[in-house]
Amino acid sequence: MRLLRRLLRDPVTGVALVLAAAIILAALLAPWIAPGDPAENDLSLAMQPPGEGLLLGADDQGRDMVTRLLYGTRLTLVIGAVSVGLGGGIGAALGLLAGFYRRLDGVIMRCMDVLLSFPAILFGLAIAAIFGPGVLAVVLALSVATVPLTARIVRASASVEMGRDYIEAARAVGMGDRRLIWRHLAPNCMSALVVFATLRFGQVILLGAALSFLGLGAQAPTAELGSMASQGRTFLFFAPHIAVVPCAAIFIVVLVFNVLGDALRDALDPRLGF
Amino acid sequence: MRRLLMAVPVLLGVLLVGFLLMQVVPTDPATVRAGPMATADVVAAIRSDLGLDRPLAVQFALYLGRLLQGDLGVSIINNIPVAQELGNTVGPTLELMLASLVWSVPLGIAAGTVAAYRRGRWLDRLVMAASVGAVSVPVFFLGLVLIWFVGFRWQLLPFTGRGGPLWTRDGLLAIILPAVTLGGVFVGPVARMTRTAVLDVLGAEHVRTARAKGLPERTVVVRHALRNAMIPVVTLIGLQIGFLLGGAVVTETIFSWPGVGRLAVGAILSSDFPMAQGTILVLAGGFIAVNLAVDLIYSWLDPRVRA
Amino acid sequence: MAFKAMTIAAGLLAAPFLVPAARAQSAPPNTLVMLRAYDADNYDPAKSTARSAGEVAYMLADTLTSIDWDMKTVKPGLATKWTVSEDGKTYTFTLRDDVTFCDGRRMTADDVVYSLKRFIDPATRSPVRWRAGQVKEIRATSPTTVEYELSQPYSELPFQLALFFMSIVDKNSVETLGANFGVQGFNGTGPFCWVSWTPRGDFVMKKHEGYNWGPPIFNNPAPQVDRVIWRVIPDDNTRLAALQSGQGDATQYIPYVMLDSLKKTPGLRLVNQPNYFWDYFLGFKVDKPAVNDAAMRRAIVMAVNRPAIAKAVFFGAGDPADSYLNPQVLDFDPESKAKLPGFDPVAARKVLDEAGWVPGSDGIRVKDGVRASFNLYGISDMQWSRMSEAIQADLRRVGVELKVQLWDATVAWGKLATQEFGAFVMSYPYVSAGDALSLYFASANTPTPNRMNWKDADTDKWLLEARTSIDPEARRVALANVQRQVTEANVWIPLVREQLWVASARRVQGVRAHGIYGVGVYKGLDITVGK
Repeated sequence: MRLLRRLLRDPVTGVALVLAAAIILAALLAPWIAPGDPAENDLSLAMQPPGEGLLLGADDQGRDMVTRLLYGTRLTLVIGAVSVGLGGGIGAALGLLAGFYRRLDGVIMRCMDVLLSFPAILFGLAIAAIFGPGVLAVVLALSVATVPLTARIVRASASVEMGRDYIEAARAVGMGDRRLIWRHLAPNCMSALVVFATLRFGQVILLGAALSFLGLGAQAPTAELGSMASQGRTFLFFAPHIAVVPCAAIFIVVLVFNVLGDALRDALDPRLGF
Repeated sequence: MRRLLMAVPVLLGVLLVGFLLMQVVPTDPATVRAGPMATADVVAAIRSDLGLDRPLAVQFALYLGRLLQGDLGVSIINNIPVAQELGNTVGPTLELMLASLVWSVPLGIAAGTVAAYRRGRWLDRLVMAASVGAVSVPVFFLGLVLIWFVGFRWQLLPFTGRGGPLWTRDGLLAIILPAVTLGGVFVGPVARMTRTAVLDVLGAEHVRTARAKGLPERTVVVRHALRNAMIPVVTLIGLQIGFLLGGAVVTETIFSWPGVGRLAVGAILSSDFPMAQGTILVLAGGFIAVNLAVDLIYSWLDPRVRA
Repeated sequence: MAFKAMTIAAGLLAAPFLVPAARAQSAPPNTLVMLRAYDADNYDPAKSTARSAGEVAYMLADTLTSIDWDMKTVKPGLATKWTVSEDGKTYTFTLRDDVTFCDGRRMTADDVVYSLKRFIDPATRSPVRWRAGQVKEIRATSPTTVEYELSQPYSELPFQLALFFMSIVDKNSVETLGANFGVQGFNGTGPFCWVSWTPRGDFVMKKHEGYNWGPPIFNNPAPQVDRVIWRVIPDDNTRLAALQSGQGDATQYIPYVMLDSLKKTPGLRLVNQPNYFWDYFLGFKVDKPAVNDAAMRRAIVMAVNRPAIAKAVFFGAGDPADSYLNPQVLDFDPESKAKLPGFDPVAARKVLDEAGWVPGSDGIRVKDGVRASFNLYGISDMQWSRMSEAIQADLRRVGVELKVQLWDATVAWGKLATQEFGAFVMSYPYVSAGDALSLYFASANTPTPNRMNWKDADTDKWLLEARTSIDPEARRVALANVQRQVTEANVWIPLVREQLWVASARRVQGVRAHGIYGVGVYKGLDITVGK
């Protein structure tokens, strides 16, 4: 499409786009292209640095880092996507409602304020204490943290759109509320939503890593970049590759999506307030 | 004024959410207090001591009642008054956040402005890349790397907690590493936002007018461009304070900083209801206060907006 | 123009870097800075069982007896000598007459009686008051004599009295501070006195002037430093970096992976306590599906590669356990050791095959409709995460599924008190075979600490015999029976015996690793801090 061409005009964005595609592809194909089993440990190989045989070395349990990296990226991407998708979906719905129905605006946005004021990381702790630490807790916490932000963004966009002519025109024609929101309002708020979602993806991954630092992330032996980085930090000064590899992966993923988000914003509407 | 009133139900809502959440958390504070070697009868006795068996609504109402009288309660784990613990920890956390903002915000604004002025050139690219990069690293990684090199290898700065009040030499030195770690997350977004906003404004009417009038570039930038550009930046800062809190918990743990973050984590995990509620109150209250301030600054920066 | 501003800003930011300042926070004169990972909730010795409370309590207070470096011999403490009656039920302790509290008041037998009675009073809610034995009466028969009367003999009493729970405290202080005793203040007879406590931060103590009644296991019974600060540094890396850069003087909280490199670091001294009793084990709930089958438990014990795990997880700071208890401990039974199967996954599979556990389509065995699958609860820390992962992998190889669920320390205790799991992992300190076995295998101690739900009449009988016998040989035999019985039934998988290492900085002299109840630096005596 035209958008794609506009994006590819800038070499940096082009590289980011290619990288993103490569990362997603590698993650999807992990079970087929990974050299081993992410849970298979061989204690005699523990902490081996990168070298022949083990391209990225082995972790403290003797597991192959390349395999762990692929599976870990896969899970991290899934966690990010689900959290942003779930939280974003709910938040967008709420934002649209708040923007469309004046009466609901106050109530909805006050509730969003409550959620926003509640420190996300404490929420994550509570959820992990309830459900037990693990992927479910992280996804729940990240989703809940995403809802109010999305709602705000979409509502702001919707408010602006509501003042436009075409809404008046559609109403004059007698179009029903549902159709109006779905067919006209929503699509015009999409650009803000898409840019936000792309940028939020990176933030969510980092927040997940912070939760893993507190021990709440994916549990053994599941491979997930945040928990791998966090668990590897004890060995940071002895076998740095154990923590550096997942950290570098997180860095690249977040960087790529940040660059993409910026490029999307510049291409779609540089005046967006974030 | 209206904003202030609207903050109250939000705060109440936060307290309610916190209360409900704590109820669902299955930790039994009595077991925590009794420890691993206790037999069931001792745990039961401690549980009844703490009176954890009254209906929820009653507990919440009692809590609110005492709160309105200024009584935040005592920790059910070690009996220390919540207000005392909060008093000891809020200061250090505020110090840390302030120290983080003090260097990251001006740097971000300056970087963003420079990038806007050199738009499209290599400096712009560099600044933007650096700011995006800075936000892409997990906080604990940055902190540990700083400790290892700056603190341990080169022995330049202390890193084992607060060294004293900010106005003492020890205190100042001790806050540098944690503030760098925490503030690093900020520079990027601020720079990017400033760049966008400045670019926006530089093309605007009143700036062109100022230029046409022959005003020196410096006045153009500071008086006209920056002032309006600050609006979205200030809004962004308000929103980002929330993320700062998340990073603060991690930073406080790594640097043994005696702040509210660590207190909150411990309280929630041990189901210390009064302490947890107290920290949530403080953190949420702080967030709301910051956003109120943002709104006020917003209206000061742009007189067209009513407060 | 913006460039100029940025340069100036950068210059200002760099200024403090020009002054090496890491040492500003370190090395205060004649102050010992102890580093640790956790704080305790409470420093009332009668209310807390945490090691982090104990290490402080031993410095603030004293006990009637002390334990020698061999961890077996009981030595005098506040009591210079003691005698036992013929029937073993009455102990008479003779106290020193030169002991004072931190506030200057002289300690008498009344204080001892008060403190001990307070400890066993149910209202104090001590989780371990059983350690005092079946007390009938404690009385002071003279200002320096205490009569301790039991309703049943309890030969372990002198041993147990050395534990910090039974520290002697000042009645006035307790009554004045009430629930804040051990939180806002404290008055004991120990080598150091309470100055201040910042929760999760520093615990500061100062020298108790005039103190010279330290246990005879030390060369110098008086404290040699003016102040002691116990500093909490939660992150492992930060703590070690602090020790190595002079911002802390000593610590026992060393991540094992760093042990070797610390041993090679010039300027750091490492000391070890070979008679250290802190074990790691996995316990089965013997009434849960799959693990209620003794053959299954036996096979699991054989499937776990304990030596490899010890090496990989503890990096040389732990020895694989080949018996339920440490061979150095009092009343250890060498014969029970033979009953513990070694690592043999081939034999493990055979045992399971013969017992009727058939591998299913997913590789996990099934018998009579029951899957060889159960969950494991434990505390989430670096050791347990890695050990449970390794055990999980070992079990998978013989067709058993282990679902690992580790909890943060504060949530964990509650979770471990439930019946939600099939197995649990735990580590614990003990002072004798009787101590360990009665804690974990007495049927009265279900659901916790006896989380295995082990309820056996013979075990109880032998434990009672051991506890109440006057004859050390009879006690040894009874405890030997228990060890053999539970080893045969494979109630546990004994995993690793932790070693105790204490690292100290160059400017510190005299640090020795003791190990009572897991406490590395005991009482802070014989330690000097140079320049």
